[in-house]
Amino acid sequence: MSDEDPEGKKILVIQTHGVDTPRRTYSPLFYAMAAAAMEMEVLVWFTMDGTNQLAKGAAEKVKLDPTSDVTLKTMLEQALDADVRLRVCQQSMALFGMTKDDLIDGVEILGATSIIDLALQADHVMYF
Amino acid sequence: MGPHPEVRGCVLLLDLHYHVVDHTWVRVDDDGTVTVGMTDVAQNLAGPLLHAKPKKVGAVRARGKPLATVESSKWVGPVKSPVSGEIVAVNGKLAEDATIVNRSPYKQGWIVRLKPSNLDEELAQLVTGEAAVAAYRERIESEDIKACEHVEGFEA
Repeated sequence: MSDEDPEGKKILVIQTHGVDTPRRTYSPLFYAMAAAAMEMEVLVWFTMDGTNQLAKGAAEKVKLDPTSDVTLKTMLEQALDADVRLRVCQQSMALFGMTKDDLIDGVEILGATSIIDLALQADHVMYF
Repeated sequence: MGPHPEVRGCVLLLDLHYHVVDHTWVRVDDDGTVTVGMTDVAQNLAGPLLHAKPKKVGAVRARGKPLATVESSKWVGPVKSPVSGEIVAVNGKLAEDATIVNRSPYKQGWIVRLKPSNLDEELAQLVTGEAAVAAYRERIESEDIKACEHVEGFEA
């Protein structure tokens, strides 16, 4: 484990996968929550197929462990509780026919080029 | 029923001070330091811990700031400090086997020891004794927190 002090560092997580590849949905949020627990500023950017997991009614249908009561919805809620910021690409939403009324609570819509600023501001970027 | 009060099978020790919202306990030690850990409810909610990584000795932590990061297969989050102070010791057993927290949350599974900076005022904001049992009962029942399960070798 690194000796670098994580407190205050900015982590950007880019999630390009959604409910069609459910096995790729939990881990980015888990890592985001771990970083938040270590007092880093964490933002998860949902783009491409990542957008569809933020539609109302979608995340609760993703349950990777049948023996657990945890779903993707649980993971998203826990991330928000941990002060992980969730942002979604406006253009990706439009491309896939989603409007703001389709989104779950707690997610902010940003224009696509916001990713440039977010990447420049982050200390580290993680891509999924 | 064991020697300690229980709520839905979750054990509470009457002589500890609790931050019920953050699921932590404080023991005031004879040398003026305090020992901090996670409650039985917390270890049950987290499930078997895979890792528990405390902050370093010497770190100064305000009340509410993380003392450690803990992770299980289904959850990762901070152990928030119930009181302000400087970390003077961390539990070396955590690195060997984090499940010590599940097995002995109030004894061998302690997380850190602090030299407190504002103990009297901050201790007054925690609950202890029967008041702690009542506060935890209220939380457990209002949130319908599942009954505590204990691993083999559990000690309160």
